[in-house]
Amino acid sequence: MSRTRRMGRVGGLAAPAVAAAPFAVLWVLQMRSAHDPLTARVRLEMAIWMAVFGTPWMIAAWLLWRAWWRQAGARLSSLDGPGWLLAAAAATLPAGRRDWGAAMTAELAQVQDPGARWRFAAGCARAAVFPPGGNRAAVGVTAALAVAAVAATVLATGAALPAGRVFAPALVGLVGGLATLAVARSRRVGRTWPGPVAAGLALAGNAASVVATIYYLAEHPSYRQLRGPGLGVSLPPVTAVVLAVVLAGCLWLTLRPPRWLLPDRHARRFGVGMALALVAGFVLPSRRDLGAMTLDVGILDYLLLALPVVLLAGSAAAAAVGRSFRAGLWACAWATVLGAPLLIAVWLAEALRWYQRRGQLLLDGEGGFGVGGNLVGANLGDAIWWTLIVLVLWALPLGVLGAAAGSARARRRRAREQAEPAPIA
Amino acid sequence: MVVTRTRCPSAQTTAVVLALAEEPATWRYGYELCQHLGLKAGSMYPILMRLADRGLLETAWERDAPAGRPPRHLYRLTGPGRVLAGRLAAEAPVRPTPAHGGVGRRPRLEGT
Repeated sequence: MSRTRRMGRVGGLAAPAVAAAPFAVLWVLQMRSAHDPLTARVRLEMAIWMAVFGTPWMIAAWLLWRAWWRQAGARLSSLDGPGWLLAAAAATLPAGRRDWGAAMTAELAQVQDPGARWRFAAGCARAAVFPPGGNRAAVGVTAALAVAAVAATVLATGAALPAGRVFAPALVGLVGGLATLAVARSRRVGRTWPGPVAAGLALAGNAASVVATIYYLAEHPSYRQLRGPGLGVSLPPVTAVVLAVVLAGCLWLTLRPPRWLLPDRHARRFGVGMALALVAGFVLPSRRDLGAMTLDVGILDYLLLALPVVLLAGSAAAAAVGRSFRAGLWACAWATVLGAPLLIAVWLAEALRWYQRRGQLLLDGEGGFGVGGNLVGANLGDAIWWTLIVLVLWALPLGVLGAAAGSARARRRRAREQAEPAPIA
Repeated sequence: MVVTRTRCPSAQTTAVVLALAEEPATWRYGYELCQHLGLKAGSMYPILMRLADRGLLETAWERDAPAGRPPRHLYRLTGPGRVLAGRLAAEAPVRPTPAHGGVGRRPRLEGT
């Protein structure tokens, strides 16, 4: 068997194994951290849940590996370590600098000594990841403004919003750092503009999430815990940093998308539609359950069942219309980066409505007016972690599966069209 | 398009420009320039990119690359680049000594 085929097969086995590893580790940790001895049935139930969440990831990892290997992996299989390093770094070059990536790669072939190859590749990788581009003065000014903004945020939150002393500086620092990087890597920002609709949705979602979070931190910085004594912090430091990373990352990916994400207009349009469908699908059951006098309340069913279906169906449709696996994949990516901030903002807004009408948490209806105490702050952690859990852990691999299904259908249609005899003139 | 700059080039940029100006009509390779001047690739390639952006450096691809390897990128100074080199040579009469002594082998663009 050739080295290329062997690497392809090994990668095809390793990718699902790597995807399954976190779920296996989580199961082991759950077994060890249980206070009471667990019965065999409980252990089996937990293993089944891990398998339910892990299997789509394993299949998605295999599909992604196969798609990447067909396109680039076979070509890269002949490279050594320095070659891989340089190829990965050259892939990050802006469109106007790609010739330089090819130039550095070609020069690496002239370097024979292994140590010299690593040094040459590392130097070229640094030049590729940080190419000269932006006006140095502009980069310096942007960086200085970012530092000043972080300092001002630290002072402002210390005086006016102590509960936000981790979240606000983290978010401002990340956004400032990414802005500095954007100015440093590109002379013309407009080249990677995703369009007014996507950009507007990203800005609106992020702004709404930030405003909602600040409201919760100002009005409900803590809450009375339902289980256990004492008060819970509405936005603990770890959650605050995670929220800042999610918002800054989604904003960056939307306003400065990588060059491989930008060209496919179908994917972007489907992504925008899917993001809006995710939000509408969230609000509708929330309002429906709020008006219904039933005990079965909360948004959990929608999150675990309906939300992934939106990504699965939307990615399949995008792949079928765009006639490629990539179109479906990038539609799912757009839906995720646009939808995550919107979902967090809508969750926080709906949660206030729920608490005012029923005194319950939005996720699963816990609480109630008879329970007593203020539980509103608990919605902040729910909104952040459950959005991430559902979108990233559950819906994202289903989007990959949808893209594969849609592209398979498109391939079959294309094969049928090619097999049909040409009409006689 | 040549961008006129009032700021002096760095010492490393000056060394690269003067090295290219030693034989201005000859095409040079990037790795060969690195070895000739003792500069790391992480310093050399940003300098070459900036020079090309400012219209001071001309680039080309090898036309007849040997089988089994990709064509290499070649560099030489443009007219404005040679003017800059003359100005830098006049301002700094003592040239930086190449790291490995002497002049390395100068490849030529095949077919020229």
